[in-house]
Amino acid sequence: MGRYILRRSVQAIPVIFLIAIVSFMLMQAAPGGPAAAFNQNPKISQAQIDGWLQRWCLERNPDVVGMLREFGGWLGVYNCSGGGLASSSGMPNFLPAFLGGGSNGVLHGDFGFSIFTGQPVLGMILERLPATLVLTGTALIIWITLAIILGVIAAVKRYSLFDQAVTLFSYIFYSLPTFWLGLILIYLFAVDLHWLPAQGIINTRSPFSFNTPAYWTDFWKNPGPALVVIGQHLILPVMTLVAVSVAGDSRFVRSSMLDTLSQDYVRTAKAKGLSQRTVIFRHAFRNALLPILTNIALEIAFLFSGAIVTETIFDWPGMGRLYFDGVTNRDYFLLMGILLIGSILVVIANLAADVIYAWADPRIRY
Amino acid sequence: MTVTLDRPASDAPPRADILLDVQDLRTYFHVMDGTVKAVDGVSFSVRRGETLGVVGESGCGKSVTALTIMRLLDIPPAEIASGRILLEGKDILRLPEEQMRHLRGNEIAMIFQEPMSSLNPVFTVGNQISEAVELHLKVKHKEAVERSIEALRLVGIAYPERRIKQYPHELSGGQRQRVMIAMALSCEPKLLIADEPTTALDVTIQAQILELIRSIQQKTGTALMLITHDLGVVAEMVNDVVVMYAGRVVEHGTVDEVLLQPKHPYTEGLLASIPSKGMRGQRLNVIKGAVPNPFNMPKGCNFSPRCPYQFEPCLDLDPHVDEGGGPAAACWLWKQAPGYSIPARLHEAQVRAALRAAEASQVEVSPVLAVEAAEE
Repeated sequence: MGRYILRRSVQAIPVIFLIAIVSFMLMQAAPGGPAAAFNQNPKISQAQIDGWLQRWCLERNPDVVGMLREFGGWLGVYNCSGGGLASSSGMPNFLPAFLGGGSNGVLHGDFGFSIFTGQPVLGMILERLPATLVLTGTALIIWITLAIILGVIAAVKRYSLFDQAVTLFSYIFYSLPTFWLGLILIYLFAVDLHWLPAQGIINTRSPFSFNTPAYWTDFWKNPGPALVVIGQHLILPVMTLVAVSVAGDSRFVRSSMLDTLSQDYVRTAKAKGLSQRTVIFRHAFRNALLPILTNIALEIAFLFSGAIVTETIFDWPGMGRLYFDGVTNRDYFLLMGILLIGSILVVIANLAADVIYAWADPRIRY
Repeated sequence: MTVTLDRPASDAPPRADILLDVQDLRTYFHVMDGTVKAVDGVSFSVRRGETLGVVGESGCGKSVTALTIMRLLDIPPAEIASGRILLEGKDILRLPEEQMRHLRGNEIAMIFQEPMSSLNPVFTVGNQISEAVELHLKVKHKEAVERSIEALRLVGIAYPERRIKQYPHELSGGQRQRVMIAMALSCEPKLLIADEPTTALDVTIQAQILELIRSIQQKTGTALMLITHDLGVVAEMVNDVVVMYAGRVVEHGTVDEVLLQPKHPYTEGLLASIPSKGMRGQRLNVIKGAVPNPFNMPKGCNFSPRCPYQFEPCLDLDPHVDEGGGPAAACWLWKQAPGYSIPARLHEAQVRAALRAAEASQVEVSPVLAVEAAEE
């Protein structure tokens, strides 16, 4: 098992590298660039902008070589302070610093600075991660539980009124755009009924921003009410995510369950005289769970990447919002940082899915 | 032979030697295109400790009959339209599901056609056998495991202590069918239903499995209902035979009666289609035509469109409707059709049958050869 995980991890390196290249090329293909964001700002001089651009090997209208330089600088292969592929000490730049390599680029653990805020990218991501984990974690647990319950009942009582109702609502919610559903929920529960807050993760009147040291000091003074506040803010965005995701996943659970219920070994289990509950849960569901587990493991990557639309609608200070802002501002380093970490997590989730599958299904050998 | 064809459901006290008595069973499937009468008035019985063979080609209702006895069909779409299934005189069609569950795997057990897919892939073999033992015999887990090992040993699996920890995919097809048999026999059922237990296995294994079933049956005294389309298996294994066609019993009798003196033209056709040594290089005999469309059964006798002896009443009257204890074949050649007489050209068929009977009583000839002899 350990060797398998090691082999898969090594195989993942070129995959992640490829993802980085593709996302970099896509960003370059998009109109505008980091410099354009500063053009409108009278407080920043052209000289300042040029200096900034040079620091990161950025150019206003890069040719292919310029783009390669930029990517190399981000990666840590290229030394933007003038050494080309060599570091200031003359060794190849990609080597670790203690072997005389450079210090820039993700290879050296440097994700760069946000062009827009000037803060380190990694710090910005870590600051936004907790809010996203709270939102997506809560939503994921609720929607998977619901999807399994609804899907299993719908499959066992196939074509019943319950099954038809689940099917109908699945199709309705699956077809609803998230942004529309979110806005309707805000309109209904926040604007109209005043039951729940419309946006944010903590009260807008709170003197502190979420996940700042001052916030946590205040939080630990009185954690109960602070948690209740977060809970209240969670309800609407979680509802939005759950409604849309349960719709798809319950269909998946239903079809997986229907598939196993028609298997010969389920008939054998019935022929043994086992009770319906044992047949359904021990014999059918245990097998139906195999594809579902894979699905869940892949959804775990979503835990970190966040929900861009939902977070934006509900002004949730998470990763999805951060990414959305990064796209709006053409914040190359922030975007590359999020994409790289996101793709690493997807690869890890894939590996986890395979390992879980192998653990759950005795037929799988690696 | 204790059965009569299409006998009306009677309330006569059950005979002690009859274990399972199926009376006028009708199982219909209501599907989108209409109703399929998969089993349409089937009666037969199984005697204690004996073997009943149920033969017929694919789609004639053999498996549905078995699944109806086990009550394993989903209702709906299935419907048991009429009939009684008496197990030791008790109508199991009327039992509440709770009590039926107690019979399943305990008093009636079943082996299926597909050993490759009939075992649950995520549980060990031992787990799957002991599950039934724990449930029905109410023993502790440890004892159930020991009984599972014994059951595996009984079906001739080497190193049963090791095998119970293995998963189905680690066993061969023949071993899996042995496991299925061990599972079915683990609670010592009174009746074992084997639905084409060897069809999915290769030929050398087929013989081993049949031999195994027979020897275990002799050891335990379990009655066997053997569903097959292989007349060779019937000749080897069974005491009584029921021949089914299009959801009905067309002929029944002891194995000698049915195989050596077939009465119904369908049985005759089945026997004639067995290849034999003398036929090398010749085309196989086949029954012309195909099983009728279940949504559009022919009027009169179901077999009439394919029957070489067809005459007037066959297209009009249903030979199944019988008054009292008639002959053991549902065919107008063998019973008096009201208002019709058998034309002279068909007397031949009866003569041929008589010839066969005579030959069978004198020398042992294979049924096929008997037919050939008669045709010369």
